[in-house]
Amino acid sequence: MIELDAVINLETLVYVGAIGLVAIGALGLALSNHLFRMLLALGIAESGANLLLILSGYRPDATAPIIGYGPVGASMVDPLPQVLVLTAIVIGVGVQAMAVAMLVRVFRVYGTLDVRELRKRMELEVSTAAGMPVPTSEQAPAGERPLPPVPAYRPSYGPIQPRES
Amino acid sequence: MNQIVLPVVLPLLAAFLMQPLARVSRLAARVLGPVVLVLCAFIVARLWLNYGDAPFMVSIGGFAPPLGIVFYADHLALIFAFAVPIFSLLFWPGLGDRDSDASHLARRDALVLLLAASGTGLALSGDLFNIFVFYELAAVASFGLASLSGTTRALVATLRYLLISAFGSALSLVGIAVLYMKTGTLNLADLAQVTPHTLQGPLGLASFALMVIGFGVKAELFPLNGWVPEVYATAPARVSALLAGLVSKLAALVVLRLLVLVFHQPEASQLLLVLGVLSILTGELAAWRARDFPRMIAFSSIGQLGIVFIAFSIDGDAGLLAGVAVALHHLIAKSALFGLSVRWNGSLEALAGAARRAPLAAGLYVLLALSLIGVPPLPGFWAKILVLVGLAQGGSALDLLALIAILLVTAVEASYLFRVAVRLYSKGDSPPAGHAAWDLGVATALGAVLLVSTLGIAPLADSLRSVARQAGDAALYVDTVLPKTVARKD
Repeated sequence: MIELDAVINLETLVYVGAIGLVAIGALGLALSNHLFRMLLALGIAESGANLLLILSGYRPDATAPIIGYGPVGASMVDPLPQVLVLTAIVIGVGVQAMAVAMLVRVFRVYGTLDVRELRKRMELEVSTAAGMPVPTSEQAPAGERPLPPVPAYRPSYGPIQPRES
Repeated sequence: MNQIVLPVVLPLLAAFLMQPLARVSRLAARVLGPVVLVLCAFIVARLWLNYGDAPFMVSIGGFAPPLGIVFYADHLALIFAFAVPIFSLLFWPGLGDRDSDASHLARRDALVLLLAASGTGLALSGDLFNIFVFYELAAVASFGLASLSGTTRALVATLRYLLISAFGSALSLVGIAVLYMKTGTLNLADLAQVTPHTLQGPLGLASFALMVIGFGVKAELFPLNGWVPEVYATAPARVSALLAGLVSKLAALVVLRLLVLVFHQPEASQLLLVLGVLSILTGELAAWRARDFPRMIAFSSIGQLGIVFIAFSIDGDAGLLAGVAVALHHLIAKSALFGLSVRWNGSLEALAGAARRAPLAAGLYVLLALSLIGVPPLPGFWAKILVLVGLAQGGSALDLLALIAILLVTAVEASYLFRVAVRLYSKGDSPPAGHAAWDLGVATALGAVLLVSTLGIAPLADSLRSVARQAGDAALYVDTVLPKTVARKD
């Protein structure tokens, strides 16, 4: 029998947690149909990746990598992953802020954030702009996965109207 | 040779100067971008001509690698460092485009400059950290450019692109984390030294898979390329040309560097091969089904990039030569096709009779289509035959499968590309408007490049062969970046 202590220690748990976060994010992105939830899932996946990076430079007995901080000669954690994570966090925040801004604009026009609905509307607009007949169910490819029925989306407060100034 | 940082620094600087400059003088802001890009192309060309054959390295800030950050410039990197400003200039949104409204010009120009800076950076960077940062910069710039038209459909497409791309970045970050855990360095030359004995086995393969899938978002590689048709159907055609032509090749270049330097193992090549085959099958079959011009060429570019990755999976310099040849050919031909789609942006039915209105454009389309399919005298044929010969020499079951897949999709390609050619030359009531002079000029110039390289195919093949040999030489890379072997304490 394998000793449990040897398999499950704190470090393993944190690793599993980090990879688990990435997996949760991936599942959320794949399974969710709501754009905002997909954005949240993306945030979870990104935190998992960042945590994993931090772990790659972490040492349990080390201090922060600042000269003059902590006792002389003590080992320090690896600063490079921390720099990388800092960059990744900044990029992530920027990208998510951009995404939220776009989300608001999309919601103002379409009044929904359901991906299936949005793709349908987008398809319609692209076809109309290109001067193509709107794809109907007869022309739709036979191989496509049938979608579960879209629940009627009723935003509690309707599409946001542009503020009057 | 320190000047090689300028093609990255100058566009970055100009991008951030753009907004304040536009307040002072709108004209100065409009010419700033093209001037900077011409300057960058000139700098790269001069370095290339003066510096001879050996690759060179520049350590940023004078900090020596592996601790410092380096730019590594061999012929392949210089080709792309030259192509980035040239193609950004050819597809510069403001050139020859009179009717666009003047309100967002500075912002748009700044985004293209950011894309150019990060693209050059991607081509030259010698460590993974920098590659990640430049890749993200290119991603953010392309989000802005893809939603440039401001229509809601463009925003929806960009949102999905953003989610997929950011998720891909998270995956490649996980891959980088695994790599760093096992090796303790992110410098590519340093990695090339240590990976043969630290990164074998499933963990290394997992790290490679994560990075390939992550960087494969921009390279339109199989699992995460759902954004391609939507973005190219809604973004301005010139932006599509830049993304499909240029940025995808730069992502492929990153994968090439990783494969040659870090993950030089047969399993990694096989993974690329399988992803490439899936890419060409899905891409070309979807292109066959597409009913509008932009999406047809968008799907077709997924297929072409699949061939690039299949070529990279072939062992040795032959694979690199084939991959680089297909990539460069696709860069020229597909960019020109997207240039034509500026006016031919509607459904395929609406193209009927376009040859009468725009005979030159229709002729160009036929030339580009022939080259994409791979009809003998044209460069596309030589590129494709290199891949096929390489696969046949590889000879494993997977190789032969890929060979059959490529032949199969070539037939599919011929079918849908010629369907359009026939429509162009058929009778139609309301053919689309003719092209603007600039777009047509760019497409003509790129078509002329294809024709000229058809005539000079033998010397071109020789020089490409030496480019591929240099790019495939991991020992040369290590010796250049780390001149005296650093004694590593393990």
